[in-house]
Amino acid sequence: MRARTWMRVLAFLIGAPLSAQGADRSLSVTIYANDLALIQDTRDIQVPSGRQRIEFQDVSAKIRPETVSLTCSDIAIVEQNFDFDLLTPGKLMEKAVGREVTLVRVNPSNGAETREQAQVLATNSGVVLKIGDRIEVLRDDGLPVRVIFDKVPENLRARPTLSVTVSSQRAGTRPATLSYLTPGLGWRADYVALFDEKESKIDVQGWVTLTNSSGTSYENSQTLLVAGAPNTVDSNDGRDYNWRVRQERSNLQRAGTESGSRERLGDYYLYPLAERTTIANMQTKQVSFLDVHRVPAQHGYEFRNNWLATQDKPQSAQTVYSFSTSAHAGLGDQLPAGVLRFYIRDRRGDPQFIGESRIDHTPMGSTLSLATGDAFDVKVQSIVEKRTRIGTFDWQSDMKYELTNASPKPVTVNVLQLGLYGDSRITAESMKSSRRNAETAEWAVPVPANGKATLTATFETRF
Amino acid sequence: MGERWANWLITGAAVAVGSLALADPPAPAAALAADSHRVAADPPSDLAVTVYRNPNRQPRSLDSDDEPEPLDLDNLQGFALIRETRLIHIPAGESTVRFEGVAEGIEPASALIDGLPEGLIEKNRDARLLSPGSLMEATVGKDVMLWRSDPKSGHTEHLRGRILSDTDGVVFQSEAGIEALRCSSLSETFTFNSRAGLSATPTLSILIRTRQPLTKVVTLSYLARGFDWTATYTATLSADATKMDLGAWVTLANSNGTGFPAAHTQVVAGRLNRANGEIEPIDLGAPIVAKCWPEGNTSSPPELLTLGGVHPLGFEPSVYERSTLSSPMAAMALQEVVTTGRRVIQEQLGDLKLYRVPERTTVASRQSKQVRMLDRKSIPVQRIYVAWLNSNDDTELDETASVLLRTENKTGNNLGLPLPSGTVAVFATRSGDPLLLNESPMNDLAVGEDVEISAGRSADVTVSSEIEDVNLDPSSVKEMPLVPGIHLRQATFDDARRVVISNAHDSAIRFELRLQLDDYSRLVRADHPVAKRYGRPVFRLTIPAHAEATVRYQTARFDLQAVPVLE
Repeated sequence: MRARTWMRVLAFLIGAPLSAQGADRSLSVTIYANDLALIQDTRDIQVPSGRQRIEFQDVSAKIRPETVSLTCSDIAIVEQNFDFDLLTPGKLMEKAVGREVTLVRVNPSNGAETREQAQVLATNSGVVLKIGDRIEVLRDDGLPVRVIFDKVPENLRARPTLSVTVSSQRAGTRPATLSYLTPGLGWRADYVALFDEKESKIDVQGWVTLTNSSGTSYENSQTLLVAGAPNTVDSNDGRDYNWRVRQERSNLQRAGTESGSRERLGDYYLYPLAERTTIANMQTKQVSFLDVHRVPAQHGYEFRNNWLATQDKPQSAQTVYSFSTSAHAGLGDQLPAGVLRFYIRDRRGDPQFIGESRIDHTPMGSTLSLATGDAFDVKVQSIVEKRTRIGTFDWQSDMKYELTNASPKPVTVNVLQLGLYGDSRITAESMKSSRRNAETAEWAVPVPANGKATLTATFETRF
Repeated sequence: MGERWANWLITGAAVAVGSLALADPPAPAAALAADSHRVAADPPSDLAVTVYRNPNRQPRSLDSDDEPEPLDLDNLQGFALIRETRLIHIPAGESTVRFEGVAEGIEPASALIDGLPEGLIEKNRDARLLSPGSLMEATVGKDVMLWRSDPKSGHTEHLRGRILSDTDGVVFQSEAGIEALRCSSLSETFTFNSRAGLSATPTLSILIRTRQPLTKVVTLSYLARGFDWTATYTATLSADATKMDLGAWVTLANSNGTGFPAAHTQVVAGRLNRANGEIEPIDLGAPIVAKCWPEGNTSSPPELLTLGGVHPLGFEPSVYERSTLSSPMAAMALQEVVTTGRRVIQEQLGDLKLYRVPERTTVASRQSKQVRMLDRKSIPVQRIYVAWLNSNDDTELDETASVLLRTENKTGNNLGLPLPSGTVAVFATRSGDPLLLNESPMNDLAVGEDVEISAGRSADVTVSSEIEDVNLDPSSVKEMPLVPGIHLRQATFDDARRVVISNAHDSAIRFELRLQLDDYSRLVRADHPVAKRYGRPVFRLTIPAHAEATVRYQTARFDLQAVPVLE
């Protein structure tokens, strides 16, 4: 009973707006990899003919208003506004200047209420009111006074609101689509790899992780993830998004040349979610996209030495796991950029975390080599033994690398000497090196169980 | 479904009427309930916690005088892998299964659930937690009950209303009209109809679809921030200082507000790669502030251009930072240190070392706990005195030598086990009582490595280094022999140095002068034999009691600037 009265009161207060809630509503969200999403909201709306304003509440609070487009037949857009003027008590009073408000004075001793109409004259650091013929300051006497406003001024909203003024040529119900770009929605991939030490195999699960900090929930939306970062003019240089801080080591050993069955759009891979989903505000959502078992993987060690680096004491080599994303003996998929977490079973059989590594968008058929952390028992010390100038622009550097292995298994450590620019040459070495590229020389040094090994090399460089 | 989003309002005609979005939207949760069940998983029946060290903690060198950093419960930079075994009951159809009470430092992207039947659609973590601010925020546009009480009579009026805005003050609407909360000086507050789907504790949920109702045991595992551990060694020297007893504790700490009772507990030694530092933090919402219109009166001094005072709404206006670790409850809890009487068991985990606490133990919230790691007796040690010199310094140096206890990490020395990094405190025994000599950091040491433990500085052994001024009287300066293997070709000589070491002890000491040269510099002349330690030159001397020793050496630079460029 009471609720019904209440609704009538409300209807009176707000001038009975026409609410057009279509049954065929469909929301679709396309999320790119660089903190950008395209929102498309389609539904049937009932529009009378003539000029009118349509309000869109709960659009993303981070909407880029200049990207908004409303498409609907027989409707011309006159203008669109994104109102940030938020409804606060202060604004409410400010907008009431010159208008009538109702004051309810409460007698502090007996609680009796007296009502008065008042006109707001000014709100400059205090509220000045005109009541009948007299002028008074609101709550100057410190006694309780309620101020009641009869309506909320136009443009004041609880949340930023998009409003579009349209001119409709005919009345009737028809589908309309609102689309816009917004930051605040993002996705990446998260991988879980369980390494089987005995068999040298990994099980890999892949999850797409959606995050929403756009201030709005997207309910029951059809979601498409795009593994790519479109350039946007808004970012002063769109390429910045792609240019991560250059990593010390590249995870990608060999870029793949295979193509899978995933949907593509131009050069971007698309990951549509199988079902409609609700992306709530401040939510982290994960949906599985990859689950492969028993893929061969290699466990190795790597030590990367910068040019002319001498360590005070031995440094741990990196533990490296490498595997292929090829369809043959590999994961058989292209991998969107994300973080790969490695687990290994402890003696009780429980998987334990052993480190993680970031991967970039990786084509199918690539070979990845991911460092997970320091090996406790395998250490390397590099020493610049001698550095001599042998010509005007020629230098000779004698390097020594001492490797130790405290584990009961023989290991092979890939020692990488970086920084060999230009026409650097290796004039002498204790074992054969391979040049991974002009900049890097690589030795695969076997170290016996509980033993030591020494590698020496002499470089001739122009620096 | 989705009506909250569906507030497309059309206000008729060109003259836009002030429009309010008051179409009554049912809560999303209620809308979901029509075709989806919401069930809570049982609390964990079994727990396992593996604590990992702060991966960014830098290894320390012995020549730095840095104090070791103790674990700070307010700023733990390590993490843990939590594994919770829980029973879930899933009805047939589509259900949301909620795992309540996960650690607030959870990295949601790392969460894994093992043992689920087919049909997992998605897993979610809502960062928003139930708090006054988030409740108000979630209730904007919805019905609430306004309670207004008369302070004198105690009579409370209950009014149905709706929150219109919660930005910079609260505006609400009732049958009486539109008012601002707490601007009348009357006592006003809201009561809410529901918790708006907000969880009280950090919660992970899954959406799953099954044909039949199921009861299953599943394992939820995830990484969580706000943990750390370190090894705390105590080295006790024997009376003659030739042997030491080494004992160690594993000190592990949890700064989360969530405790893990009777958990299988492990710690992992060794540095792990972490990909980045960003996680989606817990959102406790902004504090509610009842801000009003300007409130100046005729007796108050004019406040130009200030808008309104800020009134806290019934509680202190505490601002919760969006931090993963400082839950307000946790911040209030006392820090607690617990020592247990068990010893950890070491095993190999890939290339890392895992230490398992043999029995279940409770890793409580805001707690640091100690478990015994090792006790080794009678480890032979050499006591050596060391000074480090950067030979290219032109400064003069006058300092006391550092005392190091040196041994090798091998079974013959009653050691021969991996020593994870941490801090080491050295004690001497004085008539049976231990006396602290020094505390210093220690790095990860594998079997077979040299162990050097700093035992402080000795006032009795002083080292002074100075430039030997060759210009004074060349004939008085003895020419030093060249170091073997050095050819004086195109090098620039640094000034010769003289280092005087004096020993005030009544016994002979072993002394090491360790030179830290840059790559371009090499030792070219020296009046003592030069040894190499980790590739760096070192002079090893024995200095008799109450005696002085002098080491003279000269370095040269082999870098580009040193050479005249040929035309």
